[in-house]
Amino acid sequence: MDQIINSLSQFWQFTGFCNMTWQHLLMILIGIGFISIAIIKQWEPLLLIPIGFGMIIGNIPMFPGLNIGIYENGSVLNTLYQGVKQGWYPPLIFLGIGAMTDFSALISQPRLILIGAAAQMGIFGAYLLSLLMGFAPNEAAAIGIIGGADGPTAIFLSSKLAPDLMGAIAVSAYSYMALVPVIQRPVMLLLTSKKERNIIMPKPRQVSKKEKIIFPIIGFLTTALIVPSGLPLLGMLFFGNLLKESGVTRRLAVTAGGPLIDVVTTLIGLTVGCSTQADKFLTGNSIKIFILGLLSFIIATASGVLFVKFMNLFLKDGHKINPLIGNAGVSAVPDSARVSEVVGREVNPENHLLMQAMGPNVAGVIGSAVAAGILLGFLG
Amino acid sequence: MKRIYISLAALCLCIFSSNAQNISDLIISEVLVDNDSSVVDDYGNRNGWVEIFNKSQGTVNLGGCYLSDDRNDLTKSVIPKGDLKTKLGPRQVALFYASGNKRQGTFYLGFRVHKESTIYLTSNDGRTLVDSIEIPASLPADMSVSKIPIDNKQMVFVTSGEPTKPTPMSFNESGNNETKSQKMAREDPYGLILTVVSIMVVFSALIILWFLYGTSGDIFKGKHKLTKKMSGKNDNEKSREIAAAISMALDAECNGEVYAAIAMALDKYQENTVHDMESYVITIKTGKSEWSSGQLSFRQLPK
Repeated sequence: MDQIINSLSQFWQFTGFCNMTWQHLLMILIGIGFISIAIIKQWEPLLLIPIGFGMIIGNIPMFPGLNIGIYENGSVLNTLYQGVKQGWYPPLIFLGIGAMTDFSALISQPRLILIGAAAQMGIFGAYLLSLLMGFAPNEAAAIGIIGGADGPTAIFLSSKLAPDLMGAIAVSAYSYMALVPVIQRPVMLLLTSKKERNIIMPKPRQVSKKEKIIFPIIGFLTTALIVPSGLPLLGMLFFGNLLKESGVTRRLAVTAGGPLIDVVTTLIGLTVGCSTQADKFLTGNSIKIFILGLLSFIIATASGVLFVKFMNLFLKDGHKINPLIGNAGVSAVPDSARVSEVVGREVNPENHLLMQAMGPNVAGVIGSAVAAGILLGFLG
Repeated sequence: MKRIYISLAALCLCIFSSNAQNISDLIISEVLVDNDSSVVDDYGNRNGWVEIFNKSQGTVNLGGCYLSDDRNDLTKSVIPKGDLKTKLGPRQVALFYASGNKRQGTFYLGFRVHKESTIYLTSNDGRTLVDSIEIPASLPADMSVSKIPIDNKQMVFVTSGEPTKPTPMSFNESGNNETKSQKMAREDPYGLILTVVSIMVVFSALIILWFLYGTSGDIFKGKHKLTKKMSGKNDNEKSREIAAAISMALDAECNGEVYAAIAMALDKYQENTVHDMESYVITIKTGKSEWSSGQLSFRQLPK
């Protein structure tokens, strides 16, 4: 009888119930919250469901030494986590993004590229604030990149510059990307007048196939020669786009933009979620990162909108840009462009801004990859 | 013709000579005298040791060179020829145990190292001094005298003024191990310089793209000087003519089937079921249904 009781007692020691702490419970509840938002509100479900469930997996308390935790060398989760830790999931996602993205909106109106540059102020604004809050420059840069509103870039840079903060940075970036409509709308309304919101922009011209093929080659050569440290992201982005636009590698483009990106997104979301183990995630730094992440999104949105207003000072009537597309300079594709469309139609239901906003939106993807490359070059 | 052959031969000679081994690229990178806790040799003894580093980008063969602690007898201990291990690859090191017994192997010296002496590396001619290093009298036990890089790119080394922690069989890092982040924290504590420079670079990159795409766009639109000269009509005029021709043809020729096909294509496009991901192209693909399936139209074979 004693043996049975001893065995049961030993078994109890191995269960999650025995090792559960309030921190684990809190993280599990946050994970369930992510899943609920994804299903009920349908905000970024492709990311929030894997991250949310990953949070639940990662916060099941376990007896150490079983070699199953994400931070235990050789475990299955640890092996999958290497793609995040070593930074090879993000370039694969960029390959898929390139293969899926139609850059016509950008090619047809190249002046909108500058909005994508202006919105990167969010990254550097958050960098300055992070330094003021006491983070080291490498940590500040990794936090600042949240302002690029680009999850893969945030993971790529933080894995290189501040691996300890990667979990909080990735979750913060993806959470705010899901909340783009909530964060950006008030900033856009605050900074624009009704008259400005009603500006009707000329329709973008049709882009030829040749232009689309030349785009990734010129784009890659220009950006990679200026910022070689951004090569993994920029190379994959433009390579993916060439697969799509060349017209002769349809199978590769479909695979990169379909099954490949789906697999990598699932793995990156799940493993990032798993990495938020309570003991590593629930720290004062994580709270600071969430605050800074929110501020970086606000600064990025405001910078984009204000920059368009600045550009309008030099443009003639009929060529002016609707400042509501300024928010799309962050690279949350296509959510931020969708916000431009929705807010624009609130003032004038006939004013469709989606295609116009896609220009700065895809420019933002390039801009944030360039910014990440610069920060990596300076601090890596 | 002869000139060409001579030039080619000279070129080949230059190429081969540039790849040839260069003994002068070897340095005595580190020496340890009193070995209490450093590496143990193959015989289980803790001897002093001498480390040699190849700072070139090519392979250098140490075989035939000499090590000595006596300026008047530079050939005191020869490094045997014929051992493949004496070939040092780029930025590689070799460690020689100063056991005093040369017969113990290739990597054993015929003398022991002492404080307040100098170790010499001599070329395989036995006369040309390649490098030397002085061992100070005050060198503590388990500390080494080493040469550290002051310029990693040009591979410029200086002897460290202070005794260093021994790093046998590995490249001697410079004493300045400050990370880029630490350097940035010291030089730009508020981050303003980095911010201004980064913003300028981001804008520069995207302004260049703007210029390039703007120019290429003008060329494709026919607004550029070159294309204007090449074609009298621009694309807009052409497309208007084409549109007019198509509408006239449709008016003259079309029947209900054509309209139905266009309607179906648009319907499928809106459903996003058959669009092949190319802009401005609507494709109707033949889908399989029970009506067109060959398999389903076969009769079941009787059992």
